[in-house]
Amino acid sequence: MLKVSVISPEAVLFQGETESVIAPAYDGEIGILTGHAPLMALLGDGELRLGGGSGRRFNVSGGFMQVLNNDVRIVTEKATAAG
Amino acid sequence: MATNRALKGRIRSINNTRKITRTMELVATSKLKRAQDRVTAARPFAQALTEVIADLATPDLASQFPLLRTPAKPRDGGPAAAVVILITSNRGLAGGFNSNLIKEARRRIDVLTAEGYHVDLIGVGKKGIGFFRYIGRKFRSERTDIGDRPTPDHAASVVDDLTKDFAEGRIGVVDLVQSKFISVLNSPPTTVRVLPIAAPAKARGGMRPDYILSPDAATLLDALLPLYVRNTMYRGLVETVAAEQAARRTAMKNATDNAGDLLEALKRTYNRQRQAQITQEIAEIVGGASALQG
Repeated sequence: MLKVSVISPEAVLFQGETESVIAPAYDGEIGILTGHAPLMALLGDGELRLGGGSGRRFNVSGGFMQVLNNDVRIVTEKATAAG
Repeated sequence: MATNRALKGRIRSINNTRKITRTMELVATSKLKRAQDRVTAARPFAQALTEVIADLATPDLASQFPLLRTPAKPRDGGPAAAVVILITSNRGLAGGFNSNLIKEARRRIDVLTAEGYHVDLIGVGKKGIGFFRYIGRKFRSERTDIGDRPTPDHAASVVDDLTKDFAEGRIGVVDLVQSKFISVLNSPPTTVRVLPIAAPAKARGGMRPDYILSPDAATLLDALLPLYVRNTMYRGLVETVAAEQAARRTAMKNATDNAGDLLEALKRTYNRQRQAQITQEIAEIVGGASALQG
């Protein structure tokens, strides 16, 4: 399982465990599964999807994603819950 | 000696004042709670950003970025302009809150002027703006639209053009005068250096994790450093709002307590006078009656 947190300046929007994360990186989507190597990626505009079809979705714009030891942090200035 | 009627008037007026200060205390308390929550909610973002920048920034990389580089002092040929951003509240009745911030800002301006800078002021909040206008200082810009609920957009609108000017070498230093919200009872005015960014010290010691960087470290830093500047400003705004409410609550609590003490003393005087008057009237009646019987 991945420990995921979605952080905006005003609040922690999500904190919990999911199986996968699909994030809109600046050059296309990146999928993260358990055991991913440490990664630091710039995000673009798009939809952030947590844990498959029924998981939470957020619209993000800019910011970055950090993956370290199955700990995923999405830090973005603009994030709103979607769908 | 005050007449009974005058005393009664004062008691009524103090009672009304106490009602007002008491209400303001309650309002400040509830606003404080919300402001405090916002301060707490802003922490994870700042922490994550600081850690990541610390992981990315290496000393040789740092020298490439204008935002991380300390420009030369004016007397060594560096940019002559400096900016002090002063955050105060839009409303008064918060004890020494605003005047403490103004004092801190004046100190800061003096220090920078002594270093040879020409200091430009940016005022956020009516109270600070009012003071510096009164002593005849011009502002680079004035903001009174940021109220009790500052947003990251507010922060961005204040610092974004400063970031640009700094990166292009027109400004040598940007300082922010704010209240540091340590706790409800302790929120001293402080100066935070916004630009150049003090490269955050490494959070965890030892080896940095071997990240896959997408894209490269330079591009990442380029995108993240402005975020960091904005976040510094945002936290300044949020913390100062919380400190303002805390200061107002304390001031209004003291005012309510003082009004209570005053009321007690006045009521005592009033009752004593009333009693003395009754006693005197009885004595007069008794005296009059016995004279008639005489």
